[in-house]
Amino acid sequence: MLPRATRLLLGLVLGIALDARPAAAGGPPEGILAIRLTPVKGRAVAALDLAAVFGPSRFQEFGNGLTNVVEIYTSVLPAGGGSPLFIHGRIIEILFDVWEETYAVTVKDPEHPSGRRLVLPSSASLRSFLSDQRDIDLGPLPALPEDFLVEARVEVNPISKDQLQRTREYIAAAAGSRPSGSRSVLGAVASFLLREPDAGSDVHVYRSPPFTRSGVLPR
Amino acid sequence: MSATPVGAGRPGWAGQLRAALRISRFEIRIAAALVVAATLPLVGALVLADRVAAENLALGLDPRVVQRLQSIPALYGDLFQARKQLYAVQAREVARGLPLRGAGAEAYLESAILRTPRLRHITWTSPDGAVLAEREATQPNPEGEWREAPARVELPDGGRLDCVFAIEAQYFADLAEARDLAETVQGLAALRSEIRRSYVRAFGALLVVWAAAAAVLGIWLARRTTRRVSRLVAAVQRLAAGDLQVQVDPGGFADEVAGLTRAFNQMVREVRESRDRIVYLEKISGWQEVARRLAHEIKNPLTPMKLAFQQLQVRWDQLPEREPAFGKLLAEVGEIMKDEIGTLQRLVDEFSGFAKLPDVRTEPAELGEFVEEFVRQNPQLTAAADVEVVRASGQTPVALDRTLMRRVLANLCSNAVEASRPARPRLHLGISRTRDRGIVTVGDEGPGVDPALRDRIFDPYFTTKAGTGTGLGLAIVKKIVLQHGGEIQVGDRPGGGASFALAFPLKAAGISSPASAG
Repeated sequence: MLPRATRLLLGLVLGIALDARPAAAGGPPEGILAIRLTPVKGRAVAALDLAAVFGPSRFQEFGNGLTNVVEIYTSVLPAGGGSPLFIHGRIIEILFDVWEETYAVTVKDPEHPSGRRLVLPSSASLRSFLSDQRDIDLGPLPALPEDFLVEARVEVNPISKDQLQRTREYIAAAAGSRPSGSRSVLGAVASFLLREPDAGSDVHVYRSPPFTRSGVLPR
Repeated sequence: MSATPVGAGRPGWAGQLRAALRISRFEIRIAAALVVAATLPLVGALVLADRVAAENLALGLDPRVVQRLQSIPALYGDLFQARKQLYAVQAREVARGLPLRGAGAEAYLESAILRTPRLRHITWTSPDGAVLAEREATQPNPEGEWREAPARVELPDGGRLDCVFAIEAQYFADLAEARDLAETVQGLAALRSEIRRSYVRAFGALLVVWAAAAAVLGIWLARRTTRRVSRLVAAVQRLAAGDLQVQVDPGGFADEVAGLTRAFNQMVREVRESRDRIVYLEKISGWQEVARRLAHEIKNPLTPMKLAFQQLQVRWDQLPEREPAFGKLLAEVGEIMKDEIGTLQRLVDEFSGFAKLPDVRTEPAELGEFVEEFVRQNPQLTAAADVEVVRASGQTPVALDRTLMRRVLANLCSNAVEASRPARPRLHLGISRTRDRGIVTVGDEGPGVDPALRDRIFDPYFTTKAGTGTGLGLAIVKKIVLQHGGEIQVGDRPGGGASFALAFPLKAAGISSPASAG
C-alpha cells in the first residue's frame, strides 16, 4: 500500500495530465426540417432541403481553395423520444479549383463508400447541390416505428479523421523543430494521446414534423 | 567446522525470484522518497509545460498567420486570373493582326509565336470548322515545365483563333503544397486546445514513466543497502540462537554497512575463538587433574616396590649358599624392574609436569629477538639440526612468558627434529606480523602431518610416536599459546614438511596480558 502522501501526489499528477476534455457539442434543433420521404423498393428514401444552412454568405468560404467538408447525419427518431433508430451519414468534400474555377466535390456515403466525384461549375450549382440532398436511405419501411420524425445534423468543416491523422503525424514528426526530421518522444506520445475534438461550432440541427409509417407507405 | 555466510547461499530459482520480488518497508520508504524527490519538481514542470504549450501554440498559430496561409490559394487564384486576362489580351492582339484568309497565314502565326511570350500553339479555324493554319512553338519554354493555358478569340467572320499559352507548372505544385500546409495549419488551429491537452497528457504520461523508473531505480539502490542490513539482522538472530559459525558477506562495498558487516564478522570470530579457547582450556584442565591423580597413584607404589626388591637383593647377598641359577634370574629380574620403574618414574614426572603447568606471567618481548635468543641458547639444537631463522618483518612487540615460551619452542623443535630423522634435520623458524598479530612459524622438512589428524594432535595423550610419546607435548604447547591469548595452527610448509604457526596479539594492538586466561 502506497503512503498517503504518495497517493495524493500521483492523483494530482494524473489529474493534471489527463485533464477533462470538453463536452461534446450538440444542442436543440434550429428549425423545422423540410423533408420529403418516399418509398423506394421497400425502403424509406429521404430528400432534404438544407437551403437554410447553405446561405449565399457561406460560399465565399467554400471558394477559398482549401478543402471544405460538410457532414450530414440524418437519423430516424421515435416520436416519443429515445435513441435514433437509423442514422445515415454523408460526407461531402468540396475543393474549389482556382485554376479551373470549378468545384470538385467528393461525396461519401453508405451507397458510395469510396466516394462519388462531381465537378460543379459555379457556386450556384454547388449551393443547389448542397441544399438539395437526395437519395438518403433511412432503412426498410417495415422497420420504421409507427410514429417518428427525422433529424438532420449538418456539420460544416468539423475536424475530419483525415485531418486529425494529418495533425497527429505533424506533431509526431515535429518536422518544424527537428532538422533531421526524426520523431521526438514527447511529440510521438502527444500524437498518440491526441483525441478527436467535438464537432465545433458550425453545427446545425433540424428536425422534421412527425411522420407516421403509413403516411410514407405507397397508397 | 567452517563458517556459514549469511546471504551467500544459492537457493533455487523460485526462492531467488521470491527474494527478488519481496520488498521490505525500508526499501519502500527509500523508493518513495526518491520518487517524491524526482517527481515534485516535475509536477511544477507539468504546470509550466501546460503554459509553455499554450503559449507556443499561441505564437505558432497566430490568427494572422493562419489567415494569411489560408488566403494563399486565393492569391494563386488572383495570379491565374491575371494570367488568363493577359493571355486573352495577347490572343486578341494576335487575332487583330491575322492576314487575309490563306495569304501568309503560316508565316504570321510563326511570327506571332516568336514574338508573344509563353505562346506555344495557335490554331486558326474557319467558321465551318476547317483548320486554316496551325503553328506550334519549337523552342523549349524558357520557364521550364508548363501547363496549357488556353485562350480563344471568336473572329468577326465566325471563325476562331485558339491559342495555347504556357503557365508555369511550378505554380500548381506550389499551390498544392501551400494548400496542404494551410490545411494542416487550419487543422492545428482547430485542434489547438486538444493539442495543448495532448502535450500535457504526454508530459504527464512521461512523468509517470519517469516516476516508475525512479521507483525501480530507488528500490534497486535501496536493496543494495537494505538487503545487506537484512542479512546482518538475520545473522544477529542466528548468533543470538547460538550459531557462532555465522558470517556475513560484506561484498565489494566500502561503505558504513560493509564496515559494520566486517566488524560483525570479526566480533563473531573473536567470540568463537574465545569460546574455543575456553573449551580447550577447560578440557586441558580436566586432563591435568587426571594426570595429577595418575601420577600420584602410580608414584605411590613405586618406592615400596623399589625398597622391597632392594631388601630381596640384600637378603640374597647375605645368604651363605646361593644357587647360581637363581642368582642369575634375580639379577635379570632386577634389571627389568629397574628399567620399568624408571620408565614409570619418567611417566610420573611428565604427568606431574603437565599437571603442574605454572600460570603464564608475561612481560614485553620482541618476538624476533626472543626466537633468535632461543636458538643461541640451545646449542644442542643447532648441533642436532640445521636451523634457519627468517625475520620477515621489523619489530614484533608481544607479551610473553619467556620460560614457558622456551618450552613451547623446545617442544616444537624437538618434534620437528624427530620428524625429520633419519636425515639431517633442517628447521625453518620464521617471524612475521599481520596488522594485529605477531607470528612464529616452526617448519621442518619431514613427512608433514596427516590432514586427517590435524584436529586431534593437540589433544592430550594423542601421539603418533608409537611407544615413545606420552601425547602431552603439543597439548602443553597449545595450552601455553592459548594462555598467551594466541592461536596455534598446523599446516603444510611450502616445499614440504609440517609447519606450526603460532600467532600472538601484538602488544601495540592494545591487548593486555592474558595471563589470567589459565
